[in-house]
Amino acid sequence: MSSSLAAIPSAGEEAGSGASGLLVGMEQIGKIYPNGTVAVQNVNLRVGEGEFLCFVGPSGCGKSTIFNMIAGLTGHTSGRLSVLGTTPKEARKMNEIAFVFQEHTLLPWSKLIDNVTMPLTLRGVPKKERIREGERVLELVGLKDYLKVLPRQLSGGMKMRVSIARALISRPKLLLMDEPFGALDEITRQSLQDELLNIWRQDRKMTVLFITHNVFEAAFLSTRVVVMTPRPGKIADILEIPTPFPRSDDYRSSPEFGRHVHAVSETLKH
Amino acid sequence: MEKLVASVNVLPEQESGASPSVPAAASVPDGRMGRKNASSSGSLSRKIVSLAVPPLVVFVLFVALWEIVIRMSGVQPYLFPKPSDIVTAASENWHNLLVSVRTTIAEAVLGFALSVVLGVAFAVLLALSKTVERSVYPYAIILQTIPIVAVAPIIVIWFGAGMNAIVIIAFLIAFFPILSNTLIGLNSTEMNMKNLFYLYNATKWQTIWRLRIPAALPYILAGMKISCSLSVVGAIVGEYIAGIGGLQGGLGYAITVASTRLQTAYLFACGLTAAVMGIVFFLLINALSNRLLRSWHDSAINS
Ligand SMILES: Nc1ncnc2c1ncn2[C@@H]1O[C@H](COP(=O)(O)OP(=O)(O)O)[C@@H](O)[C@H]1O
Ligand SMILES: [Mg+2]
Repeated sequence: MSSSLAAIPSAGEEAGSGASGLLVGMEQIGKIYPNGTVAVQNVNLRVGEGEFLCFVGPSGCGKSTIFNMIAGLTGHTSGRLSVLGTTPKEARKMNEIAFVFQEHTLLPWSKLIDNVTMPLTLRGVPKKERIREGERVLELVGLKDYLKVLPRQLSGGMKMRVSIARALISRPKLLLMDEPFGALDEITRQSLQDELLNIWRQDRKMTVLFITHNVFEAAFLSTRVVVMTPRPGKIADILEIPTPFPRSDDYRSSPEFGRHVHAVSETLKH
Repeated sequence: MEKLVASVNVLPEQESGASPSVPAAASVPDGRMGRKNASSSGSLSRKIVSLAVPPLVVFVLFVALWEIVIRMSGVQPYLFPKPSDIVTAASENWHNLLVSVRTTIAEAVLGFALSVVLGVAFAVLLALSKTVERSVYPYAIILQTIPIVAVAPIIVIWFGAGMNAIVIIAFLIAFFPILSNTLIGLNSTEMNMKNLFYLYNATKWQTIWRLRIPAALPYILAGMKISCSLSVVGAIVGEYIAGIGGLQGGLGYAITVASTRLQTAYLFACGLTAAVMGIVFFLLINALSNRLLRSWHDSAINS
């Protein structure tokens, strides 16, 4: 695993990203909540630039906790955690991290264009530039005709697209997605998986961390799958999915895909 | 980047119902106000008729029964006036009644406006800091339990009999529902939404302005619906106690005068007018609420 990391070309050129191309480094990370719950224990993980990493595991095994620690929403209680070459709190201030939740978290009173450009608005980016970027990302997710529509007029899949568009607007280096497609039907889910992979492949400098409890989703999307076990949350194993991109429906029905799914499922059981 | 369009799964009802409303929403400056109702006016008026007719029938029957029973029993008008006595009293004194109504409206509206502005502002201050909220809010609750009638004479002493004192009494009665509702609204913002704003490095004020206040709007409006009728009650109670001062008296004052002169029919007229005023005020705020929330909040979508 660490050898595959070394093969990842270093980013280097952008300030603050760390020289190694290492986006997230976790060493012996542990998290005990104030009420005594041991959510995560002894997690070691190194995520390089351009990876697509899926986290699978039963609910309650600490997946969201790991994401929240990376995003700086909650602190870790032991070990060393570096994000974009610095602490999570500092990393957050660099506007290089974006988050997509399972719920679409759109502002119901704001039009799509205002929802999508919200991260830029908060940063004080001029309106003209905001609109241009907003149109870019809405086009990216196939919703450029819906600029002035309110979220409630959209289906669940469309709302999730908007949510992804909002995350993409600041061209993040690190995209954290916590069960984003968990509430969608299978067909919508698959088309969003295809779209997400396409977007990610356009911009191989973007690293995606993706939580799912769907092993098929993990095997389809990832370059590596992190399999977790509960109580306390630990990494059981990290599996490589070496199948090259682009991955299409052919991959979904290939024996190779079946083998990957099987491997992930087997690891989950132990 | 290359354009990546996937099949956009449009909801079935969207093609017919929601989409035509989009241009209307776009023409409203802040986008918060609603779309024009696209449904045909024919079915709408039929709906209004079906809603309005049954209570109207009950009203007519009630008034007729009242008139007949009092007429038959021969009760004196100063003890229990008939509807016809009330109408006569109102039309004979219509000028006085109008002046009283105008005065009371002014007091109630001022008191209400003050309660909205200060109630929301105070709630925002409390919501900004949990510590402040925890240390101050209990006192706000205690203050609220003091009966306003007990405090009113002090207010008259401090602010003089008349308009000022009455407005303050109306404000005090209307203030607390706005404060508590707004505070609940501000504190019930979804955790994920707050996290999102935090992740995007929003300042405390940005979170208040762009997230928590808009999200609290349904609660604020619910508080306003309670308070608007209360402010009319407050104005009338204020007039009982503070009288007319330098101004022409409002409905409350007219009621006290009418009762001392045993002008019971006019007293009824004033009381009913006050009730109508409270209802109209409520309906206005209700309409405002629906208008503001119609496009995005569940409570107003089907109303
Ligand atoms: N804020 C919190 N306080 C206390 N315990 C928590 C908190 N958040 C999560 N937990 C607990 O930590 C464990 C891991 O939770 P979580 O990271 O949400 O798991 P997952 O996302 O894998 O379902 C669970 O047992 C959960 O109950
Ligand atoms: Mg979770």
